[in-house]
Amino acid sequence: MKLFLFFLLFSVASTPFYLSAQQRFAISGTVRDASTGETLIGATVKLQSPSQNTGIATNAYGFYSLTAAEGEYSLVISYSGYQTNTQNITLNKALKFNIELKAVSDLQEVVISATERKNENVKSPQMGLNKIDMKDLDNVPVLLGEKDVLKTIQLLPGVKAGGEGNTGFFVRGGAADQNLILLDEATVYNSSHLLGFFSTFNADAIKDVSLYKGGMPSQYGGRLSSVLDVKMQDGNDKEYGLEGGLGLIASRIKAEGPIVKNKSSFMFSARRTYIDLLLKASGDSALKNNTLNFYDINAKVNYKFDDKNTLFLSGYFGQDNIGIKDLFANDWGNTTATVRLNHVFNNRLFSNTSLIFNKYSYAIQLLDEKSSAEVKSLIRDFNFKEDLQYYSSNHILRFGLHATHHRIAPSDITTSANSSFNPLSIENRYGLEFAAYVSDEWTISDKFNILYGLRLSQFSLLGPGTINTYNGSGEVSSSSTYKSGEFVKNYFNLEPRFSASYSLSEKNSIKASYNRNTQNIHILTNSSTSSPTDQYVMSSNNIKPEIADQVALGFFKNSESNTFEFSAEVYYKWLQNQIDYKDAAELTANKDVESELLYGQGRAYGLELYGKKSKGKLTGWLSYTLSKTERQFDKINNGKYFNAKQDRTHDLALVAMYNLSRRWSLSANYIYSTGNAVTYPAGKYNVGGLTTYYYTERNANRMPYTSRLDIGATLKAKETKKFKSSWTFSVYNALNRKNPYAIQFRDKENDPTRTEAVQISLFGIIPSVTYNFKF
Amino acid sequence: MLKKIQYLSLLIAVSFSISSCEKVIDVKLNTSANQLVIEGNITNKLGQQTIKISQSVPYTETNTYPVVKGAIVNVTDDKGSSWIFTESAPGSYTFGPLKGEPGRTYTLKVNVNNTLYTASSTMPDSVVIDSLDVKVFTFGSKKQKQAQVHYKDPAGVANQYRFVLKVNGNQSKRVYAENDRFTDGNDVPAVLFYAGKNDDDNELKTGDNVDVEMQCIDKNLFTYWNTLSQQTQGSPGGITPGNPPSNISGNALGYFSAHTVSKKEMVVK
Repeated sequence: MKLFLFFLLFSVASTPFYLSAQQRFAISGTVRDASTGETLIGATVKLQSPSQNTGIATNAYGFYSLTAAEGEYSLVISYSGYQTNTQNITLNKALKFNIELKAVSDLQEVVISATERKNENVKSPQMGLNKIDMKDLDNVPVLLGEKDVLKTIQLLPGVKAGGEGNTGFFVRGGAADQNLILLDEATVYNSSHLLGFFSTFNADAIKDVSLYKGGMPSQYGGRLSSVLDVKMQDGNDKEYGLEGGLGLIASRIKAEGPIVKNKSSFMFSARRTYIDLLLKASGDSALKNNTLNFYDINAKVNYKFDDKNTLFLSGYFGQDNIGIKDLFANDWGNTTATVRLNHVFNNRLFSNTSLIFNKYSYAIQLLDEKSSAEVKSLIRDFNFKEDLQYYSSNHILRFGLHATHHRIAPSDITTSANSSFNPLSIENRYGLEFAAYVSDEWTISDKFNILYGLRLSQFSLLGPGTINTYNGSGEVSSSSTYKSGEFVKNYFNLEPRFSASYSLSEKNSIKASYNRNTQNIHILTNSSTSSPTDQYVMSSNNIKPEIADQVALGFFKNSESNTFEFSAEVYYKWLQNQIDYKDAAELTANKDVESELLYGQGRAYGLELYGKKSKGKLTGWLSYTLSKTERQFDKINNGKYFNAKQDRTHDLALVAMYNLSRRWSLSANYIYSTGNAVTYPAGKYNVGGLTTYYYTERNANRMPYTSRLDIGATLKAKETKKFKSSWTFSVYNALNRKNPYAIQFRDKENDPTRTEAVQISLFGIIPSVTYNFKF
Repeated sequence: MLKKIQYLSLLIAVSFSISSCEKVIDVKLNTSANQLVIEGNITNKLGQQTIKISQSVPYTETNTYPVVKGAIVNVTDDKGSSWIFTESAPGSYTFGPLKGEPGRTYTLKVNVNNTLYTASSTMPDSVVIDSLDVKVFTFGSKKQKQAQVHYKDPAGVANQYRFVLKVNGNQSKRVYAENDRFTDGNDVPAVLFYAGKNDDDNELKTGDNVDVEMQCIDKNLFTYWNTLSQQTQGSPGGITPGNPPSNISGNALGYFSAHTVSKKEMVVK
């Protein structure tokens, strides 16, 4: 620790000395889209002269800062899909320079193929990072035509889908609850709608999506296996816009515009499904009285006080409702709200201060008269974040604090007087998470860059409450009562993060990284797919923080003026304090739920190959993952390592988009994956009058492989200056292949002396059409 | 309550799944050596009490399970009584007439080829079926009939139940296990969703003869049956199946259960 701080201070402090002969100045500013005023994240800003060439990518708020010796320079600003802007600069004092970039139209894109794309993926020390181009999302064909961020990231290497058509995902052998999903910095606990078939992210409202699978920078923490950082659009601050889409099962609308031109803007986006309305109209009486819908709303307002201060307010609200009339109703949803203040202290120091609220809750109602009951549950956080970025010659120093107060209300059951159920309330649990971090991205030379940092994370379980400690067989071994605010249990962890890149040439580099992550909020679920009734628990006197250590090594190559990108990464990950359950564990509404848990470890390793073509008429990518994911628990599988459910040896995805003409574009994706690891019976016997299966090894068998082709086409209608529209046609599972969703074993109907295995498939061929418009 | 929530959730998921379909497939399976299976029941009904000993077979074989002959079987209770069970039919060891007493702990000892297997189970106090009727679920214009058992759960004690449902003599393929975690001391209506010979055979029809046996079981047996119940519920993407935790020592499969029984019959109108 001390050594680390010393190293950090030394490396930052040392740079001015050897360059002190000449005066140095900083140039800073914000890069925006010329037509909408949206800040551009990750745009490349370069300061070039015959003797010097330094560059940087804009941060999450479009801000950049570069420092160089006094002199004449060209300032070159470029961003994929935009015209490169070059300015001549005389740097003889600190400069402020805001830039607006013009988007290139589709036609131009083909012509201006010489536009230099950034070489960032090769140069940057960051590895394990995938970005989604939001434009690709419009083209990739998906189930029922609902473009979806979470389904598109499943086509990337190292990311595995939770189940067919499901938005749950697993990254590099991690569990579904080990992904940190952020929407404008607020944690989204349950990212799925409609039992997982759709994600909570309405693509219309989203500006930028970054997925970190490894080498997480130290400003991120709290989950083991990945960070999905989703940022909402700010809204057009120059002119009003209205756009939307009509789909088979859902419709969307988005409005944006200036509140005060060039100073303040708003963005409002909403979406609602109407499967149930359609079913009602269809006259199928069996379905008529069922409820099945979701809606979500994204809203954002920002105000630029001046060049140095910008305030952002953003929020999300989403809810699902399913139910059967007079019997059963279940609703669930997330709410997030973020207030942020960007402050530029000077042209080297950028600050972002956030106050964040996020909540996930569900309610289940049993409506039957004699067994009426309502179950409610929630998890709620208040966050404070302070993030500072300091730009010096060869360093970007980043440091900050993050404090979170958690409340989990596991279950609250209310009943009517004549119900057969009793009211029951499980004690709330309170927790405090605190993290401090520092990192430094250090350009040591033209060839060698490192990004290293440290995150200190502290978790405290707080009173009030009666806290039990359980022994190995799940019995209460001691019990204590704590007052409000009293500390029950504290955990302290140091999380080192390190990654480095070494350029073999202008277009080739090798990278290496190591990171440790810890996790204090855990999901308990019996199901492999996300369920709205998943239980959340915190680290406690029984549950230790989960810990993951990951090392990765990669080779990155771009070719033909960055038309092709290629990367190969290998990783190995060790997981500690993983959680599983005893047989027949009672996870819901159980005050002793921690007595039902088992603790073990895991390991995961793999190879990821990724090739992308991002220019020309044909674009797309190919990703392949070869991997292994295992878990080990003393009380499961006789203590031997077993395959995790999501262990799939091969995963392949091919995504292709082809610009046929000005009006037509075509797309296709193909996926192949080894079947999930499952447990099949080895033998059978008879107890209780029923055929019962005998199992030997956990998850030692394989479901059949999955193979699916989806195709799509987009037709742009004739545009006018004021109005644009398009039709998107897609066919999910175009070959109508019956892919396995689950395998069940049962007695043969016609020959009860024998048993048979039955494969259940969810979706056959599903065509869909969506109409999109924009004013 | 949880079972009901699970079942209804599953029902709604299935009713909306757009084109889910089933096909029989060939799967590659591990095989295992035959395992010893002991199924022992001591009930509070005066009569022959039976301990069955058999073997498991590899999955690919027919459902005929080899019986285990020549075992030495005896049962004792915590009051010092001891009964030697004799092999009245191949693999079936009986003693009777004998009546188990609630509150008493019974211990089973089985000696097969000089390997000893033991198990204990305590018979809970008896709770009886008050009545049996038909519960009608309405999904739009579609109605579904299911058997519903009514009983009064004793207050202040933990109770566990297992039900065996037979429709026209065919045992439902679902395992029904309940406890009183949410219903302590109440009049409980428990719906037993029927699972017949195929997916379409999952409801009661007018004229069906329904026979329900209710057992009051101890906690270990509840865990045993509940584990099986969760696995046979058949929710896709659900829990990883495993062997239910047997209360018999020595790695035998099966269980030894001292339980009370209460039976009711009805004809569906």
